[in-house]
Amino acid sequence: MNKTSVTKSTYQIPIGPIHPALKEPVFFEFELDGEKIVDVDVKLGHVHRAIEWASRKRNPVQILYLAERICGICSYCHPIAFSLAVESAADIQVPERAEYLRVIHGELERICSHILWAGVAAHEIGFDTVLYLTWQIREKALDLTEYLTGNRVTKGITMIGGVRRDITQDMIPKIQESLKYFKDNFEKLRGIFLDDKTFKMRSQNCGILTKENALKLCAVGPTTRASGVKKDVRVDTSYFAYGDLDINYITPDILTGKVNGDVYDRIIVRLLEVKQSIDLIEQCLDKMPAGPIVAEPKIAKLLAQLKKTNGEGVGRHEAPRGEVIHYVKLDGVNEAPYTWKVRAPTYNNILPWIPMLKGNQIADIPIVAASTDPCMSCTNRIAIIKDGNRFELNKEELHRLSVEKTRRLML
Amino acid sequence: MKFSMLPKAFAQMFKKPWTNKFPAKYAPSNTTKFLENVQAGKAKIIPPVETPPGFRGKIQYDKEKCIGCQLCLKVCPSEAIEFKPEDKKIKIYLARCTFCSQCNDICPTNCLSMSNEFLLADSDLYSKDLIVE
Amino acid sequence: MTEEKIFTAEEIVNSFKDEFKIKIIDIKIKKRSAGVKKNETSYIWMKIDKGAFKDIIKHLCALQFPHLAIISGNDLGNSIELIYHFTLNFGHPRSETILNISVDLPKSNPEIESICDLIPGALITEREKQEFLGVKIIGIPDDRRLFLPEDFPEGIYPWRRDETGPDKLYRNLHEVKK
Repeated sequence: MNKTSVTKSTYQIPIGPIHPALKEPVFFEFELDGEKIVDVDVKLGHVHRAIEWASRKRNPVQILYLAERICGICSYCHPIAFSLAVESAADIQVPERAEYLRVIHGELERICSHILWAGVAAHEIGFDTVLYLTWQIREKALDLTEYLTGNRVTKGITMIGGVRRDITQDMIPKIQESLKYFKDNFEKLRGIFLDDKTFKMRSQNCGILTKENALKLCAVGPTTRASGVKKDVRVDTSYFAYGDLDINYITPDILTGKVNGDVYDRIIVRLLEVKQSIDLIEQCLDKMPAGPIVAEPKIAKLLAQLKKTNGEGVGRHEAPRGEVIHYVKLDGVNEAPYTWKVRAPTYNNILPWIPMLKGNQIADIPIVAASTDPCMSCTNRIAIIKDGNRFELNKEELHRLSVEKTRRLML
Repeated sequence: MKFSMLPKAFAQMFKKPWTNKFPAKYAPSNTTKFLENVQAGKAKIIPPVETPPGFRGKIQYDKEKCIGCQLCLKVCPSEAIEFKPEDKKIKIYLARCTFCSQCNDICPTNCLSMSNEFLLADSDLYSKDLIVE
Repeated sequence: MTEEKIFTAEEIVNSFKDEFKIKIIDIKIKKRSAGVKKNETSYIWMKIDKGAFKDIIKHLCALQFPHLAIISGNDLGNSIELIYHFTLNFGHPRSETILNISVDLPKSNPEIESICDLIPGALITEREKQEFLGVKIIGIPDDRRLFLPEDFPEGIYPWRRDETGPDKLYRNLHEVKK
């Protein structure tokens, strides 16, 4: 095929709406020149469930559980950001012990999420053994979550003005045993991900997002920190107990000394964040003051107070994927909020896909898309339209292409 | 070439698998026959992993303590609780319950609690097992 | 890398007030504290006139390039209120300020300029406001639908509370056979 001009020899591949390398439907349309990607177009909306509209006839306590079901992995972030927004609107002061407890649960969720991501990223490269190892470690984290909150995924631990369950003295030995297990296995994971030649080959210089693009496109979370932008809601603002703890931005130059903005840097940032989370939980267990765990224990009284409140508030939290922001407006007449706007972190990380994917090969699509850790749901067919003939590739095919590239690089 | 995963993968061959083989070691080819065998005592179900205390399973309702204040209806996120006006008690539909235990927290007489039963699958949404009253 | 100046909430408020005087209808600072040490975070709520909108955003970008979190919208009966949530001073521990700029658009003419030329990351959230509230954003590079399906009827805006709302479209799955 003569590649004299781009227009003559490119063809377009629609990928989606149910698509490779991760959790929710997204529609891509790639313009390809041979194996290289020239242009990308993204379309969304396939899991639009009208959740914000469903909040119009529910009171704030019911909305906490509705918010929990926006996403399974970030099932703690959405209720907590909603709770922060309502507390800001109604001027509710949260007791200090509750703030430390919220940090513990948030960091535990971050550990679960990053370890899940590490397994999925390894699977996309073709390294299934690492998937099984990381998800085995994650089982211990989920067991700890079940012990502390009652359920593995939909934790239901948030209440407006505090938390619902306390961590008593007899629970602390189990937490410390789990933390010790994580610390021992963290070194194993770090050795596999950062020293292993396979990972380095596949992920270095692949899917680069420059610092300038990350700033202009308002990217959030580990995606932007891996490009050198220091943006982390926990360090920037003081909410929960993060203002009292020793925490700093995690960028790749802590480990390697320079910032590339590629997939390898994102792996570094996420693994270092797991270590940081373990450290933060330990700090919290040491410093937690005694006291009540919720500002208003009688829920009927809380609902009556919120019904009379007139105000608006913004709540922001650092989810494992980036910044979650909720905006709530209470109008003082109805129990249900007048407006509730949710913005999950992946929506800001969609536009950066375009500069990241340009110039790479098809076989890189799974690992680059997976490296931004989209909280979007998983896959199926893509259709290739080539010279008028339709070929269908499904997820297994794309995955196979990605694994074959790994084998090619190894030889 | 340094493959740090190789020694660990090798060691796994000699270790016991992490999975708890619930309900049986291999998936039965005929589920109804397997259940009949269990009833007759010819096969055994390997029990599931123990649930921790505080696990939110099937809801339990103490009918005498209930005063009919309807506060639990107000906070249920999925409207799974129905009020029976004639005897001022409630009826809970487990098919809609999200197991959040918010009704437990708000009840002024503590008549609701969560047990650790979680094997609740049924083909009929409104069967006797899935209605608590 | 030049050291970026950290602007306190009062400095930001004064900078806008000096430059735009009457175009700013209302501006107030709210502070929330958290944790044992009670560190404070400042929230600035600013209500501006629609005519000066683009100039105010230009002034903000010149002051310090902000992070646009999201644009949220309210249907207030006769007008639509759009609130732009920006954050400034990220990168410096515990000094971030959240700036919320709200603009009122009359329902007879709900138009506003796009800020995609200044902040390219605003594309997705502006497209969302176009389809959910019926706001016309002038100069947007890409005005296709974002979240709603292709066959969703034109002229129905899901977040509105008036006759163009989606009331005719939803089915009450609530009533199940008992």
